[in-house]
Order: sequence, then C-alpha cells, then structure tokens
Amino acid sequence: MSAIKITIDGKQIECRDKIPVLQAALEAGWDVPHYCYHPGLSIVASCRLCLMEMKMPNPRTKEMDWSPRLVPSCQTPVKDGLEVRFDSDKVRENQSSCMEYFLLNHPLDCPVCDQAGECYLQDYSLKFGEASSRMVEHKNKNPKKDIGSKTLLYQDRCVMCSRCVRFCDEVAGTGELCIVNRGSRAEIDVFPGAPLENALQGNVVDICPVGSLLDKDFLMKQRVWFLKETPSICAGCSQGCAIRIDHNEGVVWRLKPRWNPGVNDWWICDEGRFGWKYVHDAKRLDRLIVRRGAKEEMPDWSALPEIARFRLEQIVTSDGADKVGAVLSPFMACEEAWLLAKFIREIAPQATLAMGPVPMEGSDETFPKGNGRDTRFTIRAEKCPNRRGVEMVLAAAGGSVVSFDDWVKKAGEGAFSAAWIASGSPKPWVTPELEKALGKIRMVFAQDLFANKVTEAATVVVPSCSWAERSGSFVNVDGKVQPFEASIAPIEGCQKDGNFLAALCGISGLYNPAKIRELMSATMPAFASPHEPPPMPAHAH
Amino acid sequence: MSAASDIRGFDEREQSVAAPRLPEGGAPRNWRETDVIRVDQPELTMSERLYLPQIFGGMKTTLRHMFRKKLRDETVVQYPEQKRVLRKENYRGVHRLNRDEQGRVACVACFMCETACPAHCIHIEGADSPWPDREKYPIRFDIDELRCIYCGMCEEACPVDAIELTPEYHLVGASREEMIFDKEKLLMVFDRTKDDKPRKSPPITGYP
Repeated sequence: MSAIKITIDGKQIECRDKIPVLQAALEAGWDVPHYCYHPGLSIVASCRLCLMEMKMPNPRTKEMDWSPRLVPSCQTPVKDGLEVRFDSDKVRENQSSCMEYFLLNHPLDCPVCDQAGECYLQDYSLKFGEASSRMVEHKNKNPKKDIGSKTLLYQDRCVMCSRCVRFCDEVAGTGELCIVNRGSRAEIDVFPGAPLENALQGNVVDICPVGSLLDKDFLMKQRVWFLKETPSICAGCSQGCAIRIDHNEGVVWRLKPRWNPGVNDWWICDEGRFGWKYVHDAKRLDRLIVRRGAKEEMPDWSALPEIARFRLEQIVTSDGADKVGAVLSPFMACEEAWLLAKFIREIAPQATLAMGPVPMEGSDETFPKGNGRDTRFTIRAEKCPNRRGVEMVLAAAGGSVVSFDDWVKKAGEGAFSAAWIASGSPKPWVTPELEKALGKIRMVFAQDLFANKVTEAATVVVPSCSWAERSGSFVNVDGKVQPFEASIAPIEGCQKDGNFLAALCGISGLYNPAKIRELMSATMPAFASPHEPPPMPAHAH
Repeated sequence: MSAASDIRGFDEREQSVAAPRLPEGGAPRNWRETDVIRVDQPELTMSERLYLPQIFGGMKTTLRHMFRKKLRDETVVQYPEQKRVLRKENYRGVHRLNRDEQGRVACVACFMCETACPAHCIHIEGADSPWPDREKYPIRFDIDELRCIYCGMCEEACPVDAIELTPEYHLVGASREEMIFDKEKLLMVFDRTKDDKPRKSPPITGYP
C-alpha cells in the first residue's frame, strides 16, 4: 500500500489509499462536520455537511483552479496530488446553511433529550452553525415512535442521515428500517408488523449522531455528562468485543462499543450490551464465609491467605499432594487463572487442574443475515470470555491437567480431599455430576458470583466479582490478548479477585495486571504484547 | 542559570508564545516577572502606632448607635416577635418546586440544577411522564437542605423556572433526614409561598 500525498488547507498530509478525503482529513486531525458518513457503512453523501472545495482543471485554460462547486468529501476518494480546502468562506457558508436547515423542525428539547451532551447537532451547531434560526413558520411536530423492543424513535430530532437504515441493511442484514415519504416529510419508519428486532439493534442508537434513536434501557436514567468511561472488553461471549463501560458513583449505566478493527469493528450485540445487569444483582454473594461444622464465620479478607494456606497444607500433609484439585473458570481473567494455578501448584505440585464447563448456546450467529454475504459481525456460541486464555494458562502450568468431565469423574471416585472450584458465571452452571461428586470432597473452596450447590457445600466461600469490577485480560476466539480495566469498585463485602489471589500467592502490594502479565510472559510470550485497539480519530463518530 | 534566561523580558515574550520556557528542573511557570505588583507597606504614624485613637473612634460609632433611637430602630430587629422586611424577589431561602397551571410539577427532570449545583445536594430521578404534552418528569427530587449553600445556581440553571428559592428562611428540623426535602415537601413549599412570591417568569421553552 503506497502512501498518498494530498493537500488539505495548504498542508500536505500522507494518507492511506482508497479512502475518502473526509476519512483522510479526520485521521489527520481535521474537524470536518459529517452526519451520514460512517466508515463502516456505504456512502450516500446525503447530509451535505462535509462539502469541500477542490482544485480541478479549468475547462477553458486547463489550469488547476478551485472548482466553483463544492464537492462532498465523503464521496471523493483520495488521489495523489489532490488539493482541497475546508478553510474557506464558501465551505463555512455551506456548513452554516446546512445546520440551519437541520434545525428547521428541531424541537430544541435538549433539556429532556438523552443525547444532550454527546449530540452532534449540539456540537456542530455550536462550531459550525448560527446562533439563531430564521424559521418563522410553525415547526413540524412528529410523535415519537416505538419501533422495537429496545429502541425508541424521536422523529423530531432526526437529521435523515440514514445511518440506521444502512446499518440494518448492510451490517445486520435484516433491513427493518426504511425511509418513508419524500423531501421535508421524509421520516424513518419500520414496516407495519415488522418492528426493529435484530440482535444488533442497539448499534443504531450508537451510530445515530443525534438524539433520534434512543435506548429504552437507558432512557431518562442519567445525563451523559455524569458518566465516567472505562475501556473494557465484553465478557458476554468469546468474540472479545472492545467496549466502554459508562458508570457513575459505582453504578454501571450502559455499555457502548469501542472501535476495534478485526474484532468487532464499531459494533456490539444486544446480548452483550444489555447483559451486564447481573453486576448489580442483589442476590450476589457478598461476604467471605468460612464454615466450621454447622457454624458460619465471616472472617476479614486479610485472614483469607492464612486460612486457605493452612487448610490446604493440612490436607497435603494428611492425604498427599495429589489429593488436591482445582477448577479454573473460563470467566476468569488470564492473570487470575494464572495466580490461582500458581497458588495451588505451590502448595500441592501434584494437584489436578481443570477448566470449568464452557457454556455453549446454539451456534455462532453471523451478520449480515442472508446467504452469500461476507461476515461483518459474529456472535459466538461460546458464552464465556476467556476459554483460550485459561487453556493457555493450564498448558503453561504443566503437571496434571484434565478435562472438566474427567476431573468430575475423578472427584466422584474420591480422588480429591480438597478442591478450589472457581466460576464467576452469571448463569447457573453446576452440572448434576459435579453436584454428586461434591459429597466426596472433604473441603471445597468455592469462588463464585451467585449461590449454588458448590457454594452450599463449600467450607470456604469466596465471593467473586463481576468483570466490571475486575481487571486483567481475556484471550478472544482469535487468540488476541485483550486487557480490560475495572470500571467500578467491588460491591460492599467483595474484593477484586486479582487482589485476593495475588495475596494468596504472597505477592505484596496492590494487584497490578500489567505486572502479572510480565511474569506470565516468561512462559507465555503472547502476554508480552497484549492487543490494544487503535484510537479513533478525535473528530470521527 | 542566568537571571536573563529565567526571567522572560518583553521582547522575548513576543517571540516565544508557542514554546514556553521551562525553568530548570521545574514545571513551566505561568506568570511573568512583569505581572508582579510590589506593594510597600505604608509607614505608620505615631498616633496610628498608639492604636488608642482608633479604638476611641470605633467606640464613638458604637455609642452613637446606642443612644440615637432612630438609628437603633433601623438596625435592631426584635426577632422573633418582629420579622425583617425581605426583598422577596431575590431572597435565597428554602427551595420550592413550582407547579404549572394544572397543578403538576413543573420540573422536566433535565438535571440542569443537579449539574450546576456546586454542593452536590440535588438528586433527581427522571422517568417517562404520564402526560401527553410532556416528555419527562421527576419521580424523585431530593434536596439536602443542610448541604445546600443557597447560592441560587439551581434557580439560574433551570430552563423552565421550576426550581426557585423562596423568602422562607426559618428552616428547622429535628433530624438530618427531615432536612432532606423530597418532591412532595418541595411542592408544599410552593403551595405555602406562591401567594407571597408568585412563579417568576413565563415559560420560555414551550413546556408548561
């Protein structure tokens, strides 16, 4: 791919080939207003905001001169030697006229609009528009439309960029949305009896540059300027989509996709987007419990390393080191799995390790729907984020590593006197075989999110945290190591899994996943260079 | 390091606007030597150094107010028998939530007051409104009157003039919980004070 040199506003920049001038300008840091252009969708050049002046040969003199007509920069591919400008009166005049036009029928209800604060009508009318409108006629009023189970359409606020329509056609492939009527009466709508019901519908809210399409789930919950953003990785399936967790005062409010080319591009599925509700479930385990016979004790977290070490060492001395087993979970971060494996192997080098059950639901769902179309998005059947990461950790741990079924079988035969069973699955996961085998294990350490048969049978119950409270890295289906950060503090009574696992291993100080990854990279070189998605151009959306 | 390179002179300042000079080993300085105004302390005279003439001067004012009935009556208020005359239009006392013509809460739950509040004492929960002419309304609206600093920023931020400060200043409560005013209580303040101070300005946004 050869570098192309183009000149924007008199400055020469280098850019990739086969991209529109608009994309090149955005990547070079220009703030070019645009609504309809989205790098992941086809180009329609309908919003007319990104128009630019371009040098063309004058038909009379054959000299290169600024063309009298403006051209859409989103529809003009870059070409070596191209000269364009955005910094001219003509361009600015067009931008301000366009903004005035977009706001003709706008109800100006920013105070009650959920998009306010992240709305490109607000931003662009401030930067490129005029302070007042010359509209004297009555504004068209359009009632809001319920177009799907998760999405609301406020037609009043729409700028007819058609991003949502193109998304449903091109990425989801379901094509529920359409534009009805023409001209000033044009509006977005669904076909009668066919509401917007695809598994990616949340994305139309993200790509809507204005407050026209809104999430019912997030509707009127928070103003966006209160939210803090933390980059994270979706824990819903093994695709490992890059997301952003929006939270405020320790409460998660919504998830948004982050651009991660090759993994999820700009999109996430609804299952991931709305599947975080268990984070704030009141039924979550929230205290460390140690059972002595029928008595339950709730020791301080600082006592856990001593309790765990002492009890496991007792078993090792009385029954032998091969009588210890551990189940790592595909919901754990790689660092946590590595720490737990390290801790178990330190105490009992002959311990038998396994990975817990990998939840599978149906088969991989690919988008766009329809035969013979190139896959642009995949929802994986494997509903856990880190099977590959834990497999890598187990492979590196060496020694006795078996499959979960074999582990349960061995446990049922009484092979283990003590076992550490970790899960962190938001859904019930305990198999009947495991339930039966639990009776044969004298001492169970259960590390989990919700109460189940394992935590009931456990001697020590260690409450786990949801992925939003933890940090570490997941390895996705393509083997990409993707770090994620903790967005909120653990709920009252819980501790970050990494914290107590690091304490178990005797690692002093705060749990730092990057440091752990450094240690891990000695045996697993993949962890030396985790995958970080490139940043979006500052003014792209 | 020489003094000339540390202190940025006039000509140098004009040249190097883009790249501020870093003093050695320190953060960039965001002030200039020429910005500094040096003030000399005035020398005290003999009588000033004695302090006694000033004390007697002050006592004179005090005694004048004590013995002149007219001045005394203007300054001293026999609270609580006597109430002070307030400027009702802009006195900043207890908050109220205004009602519209139909008696509904006028607030549209836009969170502007919560955003503007420097004391973080306002907590709102919005919801879809049950009325066809309105989009959003508050299902919860709490103001912690103890935390509030009565600056009036909420009143200024409100796009529909729903929240206002009233001339009510005798604010008492037996507990902290009692001093967290909820929506109902704030509407009650409106009912109590609306005759005294009617709702301020006409709506500007088209919302009732």
